[in-house]
Amino acid sequence: MQPFFKNRTNSLILFLVIFFLFLNIYNIIYNTPMVPDQHWAQKIFYVHVPSAWVGFLSYFIVMIAGIMFFIKNNNFWDNVGLAAAEIGTIFISLVLITGPIWATPIWGKPWIWEPRLTTTLILFLIYIGYFMMRSFGGHAERVKRYAASLGIIAFLDVPIIFVSVQFWAPEIQSHPQVEMANQPPGILGAFLISLSIFTLLYILMLKYRIYVIQLKNKVIHHV
Amino acid sequence: MLKVSSLSKSFNYRKILDKLNFNLEIGEIGIFMGKNGAGKTTLLRIIAKVMSPDQGEITFNNFNLLKGSSSVRQEILYLGHAPAMYSSLSALENLKFALKIRNSSLSESKIKNELDKFDLIDQIDDPISIFSQGMLQRLKLAYAELSNWSLLLLDEPFSGLDSSGEDKMHEAITNWKRSEKTLCIVLHSKQKAEKYGDKIFYLKEGKITLP
Amino acid sequence: MFFTLFKKELFIEFRTKEVVLSMLIFGLSIILAFAFSSNVSKVIVANYAPGMFWVMILFVTTLGVHRSFSYEKEFDAFSLLVGSPIDRGMIYLAKWLSGSIFLTIMEAIIVIPFFKFLLIELPSNFLLFSMTSILINLAIMSVAILVAGIAMRASLSEVLVPILFFPLVSPVIIAATKITSGILSNDPYQLWQIWLLIVVSVIVIFVLAGYTLFDFITEE
Repeated sequence: MQPFFKNRTNSLILFLVIFFLFLNIYNIIYNTPMVPDQHWAQKIFYVHVPSAWVGFLSYFIVMIAGIMFFIKNNNFWDNVGLAAAEIGTIFISLVLITGPIWATPIWGKPWIWEPRLTTTLILFLIYIGYFMMRSFGGHAERVKRYAASLGIIAFLDVPIIFVSVQFWAPEIQSHPQVEMANQPPGILGAFLISLSIFTLLYILMLKYRIYVIQLKNKVIHHV
Repeated sequence: MLKVSSLSKSFNYRKILDKLNFNLEIGEIGIFMGKNGAGKTTLLRIIAKVMSPDQGEITFNNFNLLKGSSSVRQEILYLGHAPAMYSSLSALENLKFALKIRNSSLSESKIKNELDKFDLIDQIDDPISIFSQGMLQRLKLAYAELSNWSLLLLDEPFSGLDSSGEDKMHEAITNWKRSEKTLCIVLHSKQKAEKYGDKIFYLKEGKITLP
Repeated sequence: MFFTLFKKELFIEFRTKEVVLSMLIFGLSIILAFAFSSNVSKVIVANYAPGMFWVMILFVTTLGVHRSFSYEKEFDAFSLLVGSPIDRGMIYLAKWLSGSIFLTIMEAIIVIPFFKFLLIELPSNFLLFSMTSILINLAIMSVAILVAGIAMRASLSEVLVPILFFPLVSPVIIAATKITSGILSNDPYQLWQIWLLIVVSVIVIFVLAGYTLFDFITEE
């Protein structure tokens, strides 16, 4: 297998990601407007929401990979599922860290069972179970089937979890982030830039992680 | 015909079956031999679809056993090491249930007759958790006699049997051979293999080799 | 074929009484723990009672469902089912329905000790409480059986089942608490009917998923 970054496309994506990440930080700090009530705390929005988007996208890919694994019976899809689960969990962890950081100066408390954060927390716990199942589920070939099943079930549960949490405590306001359409000017553009950069970063991370898993299987397990 | 093509199975990336191929004609008895851990039980469990292979194809009378509907397994009966019955149920209850899920309901008297033939009539109402290994083997034999099948997968059928049990097993296999039933039997004894087998398959390093 | 499998589940439980008894004893122990840890006013306990009831049900379900699959592993009985010419989704359906019945039987016995030991009034509309509980049991079991099927052959399955089960079943617990709260407070049906929809959605999604995925999960 060729080293990952020897591939021109991969190195180009890496360069672009690094460049745009720095640009993104600069843009967030210097170019975005200051929201009156929230000041600097609001800037986390440009990291928090894209992380959530990427995390949920990743878990969606775990579900698709699970379905494809059953259809094609190809180990590649198990590798995709595992990589997407790992990266998704990293970004979801980021959401669970940045959420309370944002909420503390605004709400005075780091955690108030806000619906979206609660859904994220439940999904995070499901995926901790996923990784435990991968470790203790038995021999690798059997675990792949279980992981695919769990990936499918977990994402199917997401809409129900979200709806139930939303209705659970309607008196709890949503996270201090108004709907996109009502954002002051200057915020939407910067947000979309940040979202694109995070998505690009995710694609690179996913590709690289799949490559590493395949390399590990080849070198250690001769698969 | 039972046709197994390119069958592979790994456990934690260790190849137990490696693109295994063999054929068995209808009415033939195939004996599978090999060292412990060679994959004999794994092979039988894959044919029975209790275990799934990593790749490969298995057809029986041109029906795809691995991808076909569940009804394809009607013709196949698997008797493994373990009794594969419920420990809290009696011999009679287990047989009634096992036959029913194979779409063959027999009368209680017929089942009792068969259990009597295998000297299990006295324990007919006892939970099989108290059965000895020999009694469990005889129970499995009674199950095979009562079921309808075209292909029987037997994993070490003689283990745990006393001489009377061995005689009954010998009689059963001989009768099956005469009725042109197809059997795949895992055996350790070369003598028995030559006695019963039409084809002897020796498993080594995941492949079928000559003994 | 479904009725054969379903009858087998009921018959084995009737013979051994392992699932219902173990859930019942564990449930009673949990009620005791609740009683000892609640040295607060009756009003506060009454507010928390719906949640406490369903948390107790969650814990006993974990135990019961683990036991339901354990006896399949003894003597490798599960390979009798898996190797037979049956649709494996039927195994899931039989376990789901029978498990829901066992849970309902256990709840029917434990509901009175629960309310009486915690010094709470029994629901005035007991019929409505019972009917909604049966629906909730179906939802809880639809998730539990699927998770237990996945964890069945794992080492540490008794640890994996609750870890996987609890987050997945959280919408049902929220809904169950809301429904029971509404019934205990004699709220009009319109106030908590949305939660019934959520329970039914869980049943539909998980039963379909379980029926489809059990074919892949049951093979070694």
